Amino acid sequence: MKNPEQLIRRGVHRKGIAEGIVKTFLGGMTWAVIAVALMIFGRMIWDGAPVFFKKEAPFVNMDFLTKKTETLHVFDDAEGIRHQLPASEFHQWKSSHGTDAVFNEQTFSYCGGGIAGPIVGTVLLTLLSVMMALFFGVSAAIYLSEYAKQGRFIGWVRLAILNLAGVPSIVFGLFGFAVFVLAAPILTDTPADRSLLAIPLGFTHLSFEGWGSSLIAGAATLACMILPVIITASEESLKAVPQGFREASLALGATRWQTIRKSVLPFAMPGILTSSVLSLARAAGETAPIMFTAAVAAKDDLPWEGVGSPLGVLTGQVQALPYHIYTLALKIPTSEYTERAQFGSVFVFLLMIFLFSAASVVLRNRVRAKMKW
Amino acid sequence: MPDTSHNPVPSGHPFCRRGRSTEGLIKAFFGGNAALTIVILVLIILFLLREGVGFFPEYRTELQNFRKSGLEFVDIARKDLTAHEQMGSLLNRAYFAQVNSNCREEMQRLEEATAIVNYLGEATAPAHDALVQVTDAESNSPPTPELLQKLSAQYRKRLADALSGRLGKGFPPTPHLSRTEQQLLCDQIAARDPLSTDDPAFANELQASLAAKRELSAAPLIAFRDAIDAFQSSSSALDVLVSETSDTVKATKEAAVLHGIQVRKRQTLLDAARTAKPDLRSQLEADIAAAVTTEPVDFTAAMAPVLARIPQFKEANAAMSAGLTEVSEKLPLSLSDEKADRYLKAFRAATPAMAAETADTVGLLEGWRADVPVGIGMTISGFISGRDWITGGEWQDIYGILPLFIGSLMISIIALAIAIPFGVGAAIYTNQLAGPRQQRFVKPTIEFLQAIPSVVLGFVGIAVLGTLLQEVSTLDSLSWIPGFPIQQRLNMFTAGCLLGLMAIPTIFTLSEDAINNVPAAFAEASDALGASKLQTIFRVIVPAAISGILAAVLLGLGRVIGETMVVLLVAGNRIQIPDFTDGIGTVFQPAHTLTGIIAQELGEVPFGSVHYRALFVVGILLFVIVLAINWTAQRLLRRFRISQH
Repeated sequence: MKNPEQLIRRGVHRKGIAEGIVKTFLGGMTWAVIAVALMIFGRMIWDGAPVFFKKEAPFVNMDFLTKKTETLHVFDDAEGIRHQLPASEFHQWKSSHGTDAVFNEQTFSYCGGGIAGPIVGTVLLTLLSVMMALFFGVSAAIYLSEYAKQGRFIGWVRLAILNLAGVPSIVFGLFGFAVFVLAAPILTDTPADRSLLAIPLGFTHLSFEGWGSSLIAGAATLACMILPVIITASEESLKAVPQGFREASLALGATRWQTIRKSVLPFAMPGILTSSVLSLARAAGETAPIMFTAAVAAKDDLPWEGVGSPLGVLTGQVQALPYHIYTLALKIPTSEYTERAQFGSVFVFLLMIFLFSAASVVLRNRVRAKMKW
Repeated sequence: MPDTSHNPVPSGHPFCRRGRSTEGLIKAFFGGNAALTIVILVLIILFLLREGVGFFPEYRTELQNFRKSGLEFVDIARKDLTAHEQMGSLLNRAYFAQVNSNCREEMQRLEEATAIVNYLGEATAPAHDALVQVTDAESNSPPTPELLQKLSAQYRKRLADALSGRLGKGFPPTPHLSRTEQQLLCDQIAARDPLSTDDPAFANELQASLAAKRELSAAPLIAFRDAIDAFQSSSSALDVLVSETSDTVKATKEAAVLHGIQVRKRQTLLDAARTAKPDLRSQLEADIAAAVTTEPVDFTAAMAPVLARIPQFKEANAAMSAGLTEVSEKLPLSLSDEKADRYLKAFRAATPAMAAETADTVGLLEGWRADVPVGIGMTISGFISGRDWITGGEWQDIYGILPLFIGSLMISIIALAIAIPFGVGAAIYTNQLAGPRQQRFVKPTIEFLQAIPSVVLGFVGIAVLGTLLQEVSTLDSLSWIPGFPIQQRLNMFTAGCLLGLMAIPTIFTLSEDAINNVPAAFAEASDALGASKLQTIFRVIVPAAISGILAAVLLGLGRVIGETMVVLLVAGNRIQIPDFTDGIGTVFQPAHTLTGIIAQELGEVPFGSVHYRALFVVGILLFVIVLAINWTAQRLLRRFRISQH
């Protein structure tokens, strides 16, 4: 007998029906959410995959990934055949066929060529910001978990972390704009008029006039945004290292720093890296903080082209994939010629985010399987 | 000082000192990094305040100028004019809704015929345009016969393709046209000369029949129409007056602004001259002498001709009041069409307010004084409760936060109305009712939703959802839903849907946690007392977890209010307080939001201007709102945790 309860309680049958109804209803809601999510993904993949993949080897549309963004020209020739050419090829075509042969010309900004610039920009922004946030975040987490005793300072730090995590991304954008773009210190011979404070150093000036809209300003803004996430996650990984490891090390006469370096950090590192991969996805996905601090809609050169020194890469503006999608979505009306750029960019972007997230999940599972104390 | 008496190493020993100092340094280094979070938070607050605080005094100066130069005076009268216009448009909408209610069939037929004409026109447009281009009289070389032939062959081919429905999205659906009519229309277009763009005869016929039907249904409403026209023309005197006086005061303001700029320039030059080297000083002094070329504006004299027209304003105002009373008497009691009747009712409801506003205008105009200073309190309250956010105009920039705030609020309410049932329902289902296999699939999938970047969701809204909703709303079977068919593709509802989708994972994860944390003893005790599964869930577990669920909802709200990209792309970006006369249908109107305005305008404003500072004040407001929400949520969570132990 499976369920003796049913024989004892009267009215079970009716309650069973009610339970079935509620279960179906709530289950239906749950699966509806999942269905909507899958439909969105499905639509993006359905429209984006044809741009990204192609039938012959290497099966990936390398042109789209490696070419720079250009204006797309769409026109008919005298035969009535429709051509879609990026600006550079269009000018070649025009010079070889003559201006009279072009009919019904239409242009679509940012829709021709590929998206090499945005991809490179996003990768640089993300890596730089995660590197900064990891350095400061892990150090802060070490302090919180290894050194700190309960006190007023720690209370303040925890409050700051909590509040920082809740600040809207657009406010981070405002903050980055006001601090990094307009007020951060630089070394310059001629301080600008709007400099907050210029300190003469003899050979040059230290002027608080900001880094301008640049890669480094955007990365710093993003780093501030993901800092609380990294601190919280790193602290958790550090706390997960058994207390015995520390006690054994200290008992052998190691100092606190030696203990941390040799017996705590190596075991917490996989966990920290896992969480940092997840914050990589967050940093890559945000648009609002980089709108005014780093991103630019159109740029002819990749970040490292046409700069004198390696430092020039940091002080130049970059294109970024989320900002590129924003520009394409807001400023360019959807048509059959822009869909390639729009859905293709979204597909590549989602693929990147998906890879980051999947990598963090896989890493987490492997770490969990390995680290058993 | 620590007690060193038990330390085996003497306190002065270098070993001890070195060890302690490096350890201390390392600790200080890590502690410094922890302090960085505080530094960042303080910097955020400081810089938001630094840029934002300057807003109110500067805005106050602008308002002072606004008053002194008389712009405010004209605005008093202009407000009546705008209200009058809105009332007129309300009546017009009622009138046309009533007229059109009888001609729905004809309108749909015409729409469908137009859709066919447009579809065929678009399909053949490339060839048509090419033909126009080569036959253009101004082109330098006449087209060769081969080219012409080629192009017209192309035209015919595309037309044939289009007629068989093979191009683009295919032949548009025409449920209200019969097959023969459709065929007739297609034949007429096919027979048309490639170069002509005239409408086919059948479309004109439909147009004529619609016009006839309209005339027919307008016939009983002639008195209504006349009343509306009389009402609208009753404001013409005031209209003329306002446009004439605004030219005068605008000139005053421009002169004042120019003078202000010159005075400031002179001050800068004076400062420079004080520190300049002697050889440069003479040059600077010449500049200083030439800096101010305009006389300071005599505001009283400039305002005199405007103030002299107050009697005329009085007359115009009286005419308008009379128009309002007259039209209220002549209006029909009710209209048969539901929508038209709602507009009429809205007009009636607004009439007393309008009458009162018109009545006290004269008093306001006469009591207006240019020399009353604008207080800082008035500036702040004007910012918080202002109903307009007008920037970039040549009249006067007005910063009022209400339309943005209401937009943010409406969108958040829509989003939560979607996210709460789905998020909490899914959490209850997953934790209590679903089997372990479903749990293993559902949880990571919904959490994965969180990873979708908001700009992608915004893109989905703009490229897919907006169009989809609009198409669905035109279905005849759904026309009973208020607000359908949707006028604007991008509106608060679309944005709310997407934001709801964004908030679901937050609400789901945290609510699921809260439910999971209810001690097993609660459920066991309930079971032991003979409660059914449902009773246990809804009377024991959910109430026990309710503060955690509330915290989840609040955190979801914080996420929704702070979200930027989706609302910027999808909400429609119209800075206006929604028109609530549409009832539930209000949600299908576009709106602008607190986050959206910062993202949209910060890139374009000059650094340090009043507008720039206004955006920082909006940022401060946003920061405070989200902080308050998160703080409440954290307190709820803490109380919840305490009640556990």
